[in-house]
Amino acid sequence: MKRTVLLLTLLALLMLAVVACAQPTPQVVKETVVVTKEVEKVVTVQVKEPEKVTIWFHSGRGEERAVLEEQIKEFNSSQDTYRVEAVQLPEGSYNEQVNAVALTGQWPDLLDFDGPYMANYTWSGYLQPLDGFVSKDLRDDLLPSIIAQGTYPPDGKLYCIGTFDSGLAIWGNKSYLEKAGVRIPTSVDDAWTGAEFEDALAKLQALPEVKWAMDMKLNYGRGEWYTYGFSPIMQSMGGDLIDRTTWKSTGTLNGPQSVKAMTMFQNWINQGYVVPADVGDAAFYGDKTAALAWVGHWMWGPHKKGLGDDLILLPMPKFGEKAATGMGSWCWGIPSAAKNAEGAWEFLSFLLQPDQILKMTNANGAVPSRKSALAKSELFGPGGPLNIFVQQLESIAVPRPQHPAYPTITSAYAEAVDNIISGADVQKELDKAAQKIDQDIADNDGYPPFGGK
Amino acid sequence: MARRSKARTVTDDTVTAWLFMAPALILLLLFLILPFFMAFGLAFTNQRLIPGPIPTRFVGLRNFQRLLDDATFHHALRNNFVFALVVVPLQSGLALFLALLVNTRRRFITFFRASYFVPTVTTMVVVAIIWGFLLAEQGPINAILRVISFGHLGPYKWIDDPHLALPAIIMLSIWQGVGFQMVIYLAGLQGIPPDLYEAASIDGAGMWQKFRYITFPSLRNTHIFVLVTTTILAFKLFTQVEVLTQGGPLDATQTIVRLMYVIGFRELKVGYAAAITVVFVLIVLLISLIQRRVLVEEREVA
Repeated sequence: MKRTVLLLTLLALLMLAVVACAQPTPQVVKETVVVTKEVEKVVTVQVKEPEKVTIWFHSGRGEERAVLEEQIKEFNSSQDTYRVEAVQLPEGSYNEQVNAVALTGQWPDLLDFDGPYMANYTWSGYLQPLDGFVSKDLRDDLLPSIIAQGTYPPDGKLYCIGTFDSGLAIWGNKSYLEKAGVRIPTSVDDAWTGAEFEDALAKLQALPEVKWAMDMKLNYGRGEWYTYGFSPIMQSMGGDLIDRTTWKSTGTLNGPQSVKAMTMFQNWINQGYVVPADVGDAAFYGDKTAALAWVGHWMWGPHKKGLGDDLILLPMPKFGEKAATGMGSWCWGIPSAAKNAEGAWEFLSFLLQPDQILKMTNANGAVPSRKSALAKSELFGPGGPLNIFVQQLESIAVPRPQHPAYPTITSAYAEAVDNIISGADVQKELDKAAQKIDQDIADNDGYPPFGGK
Repeated sequence: MARRSKARTVTDDTVTAWLFMAPALILLLLFLILPFFMAFGLAFTNQRLIPGPIPTRFVGLRNFQRLLDDATFHHALRNNFVFALVVVPLQSGLALFLALLVNTRRRFITFFRASYFVPTVTTMVVVAIIWGFLLAEQGPINAILRVISFGHLGPYKWIDDPHLALPAIIMLSIWQGVGFQMVIYLAGLQGIPPDLYEAASIDGAGMWQKFRYITFPSLRNTHIFVLVTTTILAFKLFTQVEVLTQGGPLDATQTIVRLMYVIGFRELKVGYAAAITVVFVLIVLLISLIQRRVLVEEREVA
């Protein structure tokens, strides 16, 4: 008796497994077709199940995520050929996820990634070129910075396209600035000098409502923000993460200008001007205990909600001979091992429609990647609240190094910044970071054909 | 089934025994023993986690030479030793104290035993996150310190201060782990015959003397077990530092296992991480061997 029960249970489980693994058969539908006025023919037509297109995207700020989920629903309901299934991955460990899938080989059909990682992914063979899909009209309409971000230097082919580019500037609380008597710059040409900037910090710190003059988002912790947000300080003073012709980091990252820049950064923290990490996110737009916020476009929504008309966007200061700011953002690419590249491109070109781009950029405050979308946007036109971002992209923005060693560059620099924030010796930390980067490049034989051994 | 002759031939019992062990043995071999030996081999190569355009090459002792110069590795080693030296006696001592407390037959004693054990069954990730809130500068722990010291003990930056980060990790690790050792000590305590205590009471021994001359020596085997396992567990420190401090600030909470993870899986340098593994295994092996030599167990003479 026991044995029969056991056998029957096993049989049932086996059948369940078989049923679960079975592929759905295409539906067969009868359709009536009028061939001539007199004769009607009954034709059976096979209706195809929509092809599955898997996409991965990083689970970023809430606004971006909400818009993308909307866009996926809209795309799926607007046509029957493809059905997009999305997987969201945490932003912090995103690069590790991509590395993990490189080992398992179960690539999605489309994935987004942070622009600077494009060189590493292409060098490692993960991505396929998009030139075959991109029409001339689209290429002409995309911003030059977007094309530059997606182009792999050795072969000049396009491997990723973003629906928006980033903006990094200083958000200000207008009433605090006026109260402290600080000059308010109106355009990139007008930006503060380094001395004016530090003077402004001191004046703002003296206000009774202000606990910390500036929020630099130290609460984000050690990650890509440190590289994106703070390497422009070095670039403005003539330093950089790495020499972009010889591809050597020693001498540049730990050179005198970079050290001067990071020492200045450390001083702001030591003098108490900067919101500490454990205070949280809302010092500028919530409690209004900070007068300035050094952060990117993604805070547009929360800042606008919190400060309303008091919100003002200021260009990056000229710490050295010129100002510098960050650029580059998340972009979409099609893996070489994608099963459904056509489906992936269909969805990507949907996302690149100017109205869809505007949907996203209205929510996250990023710069639309197409000139036609930019022209339609009220936020970015001359006089618009976010026009500074466009001015900066056209003049002073510096891309993060486009080199396969970028993952090491960013992690070494972010670690150095983290330690500098905690009070470590700036020269020593930058020396360590530069050595780590050069060692990684040497270990990979200079990432041929990039050279720089 | 006819029995074969018993002398020196494989009996059906042996075959059955091996068959029962086979699944577990195969898994152990594949996922523990094989990688262990692979690590020794990979430590001499420049193996990357993802095979890329650069071929894997034999690089001799380069990885080990780099280890000697690596300041982060030295910090990690130092932190592991400090952690083990502090946690092992403190946690074991606390566990013994708690075991003595709950080794009674009072009412609701099961409730107390369970409460002391609950942290051990909670995932370390959850424990670390909760302690992150407790240790915040405006958090409950600083508030309690302020109240009991009448405002003298100022709010401490437990997680951001390089001098306080490791003590904070030690605190939460002890809190989480003490339940396990407590249960082991409890078992040991219950193995001590009560007549010894009765005899001691008749002789007029006080509580401290009973503890010093009866309880402590009788627990010898338990002590050895607890010390050895706690030491090995202490060297595996990873989860708390990854979740709470990410090895910072300034490498104050960097540990060997975390370094292995970051270098192997984030920086994709499997060869270098394997070299760290080899060094680490040798160190832990040495310590365990020394402990076993020094702490000889009391074996019952049959």
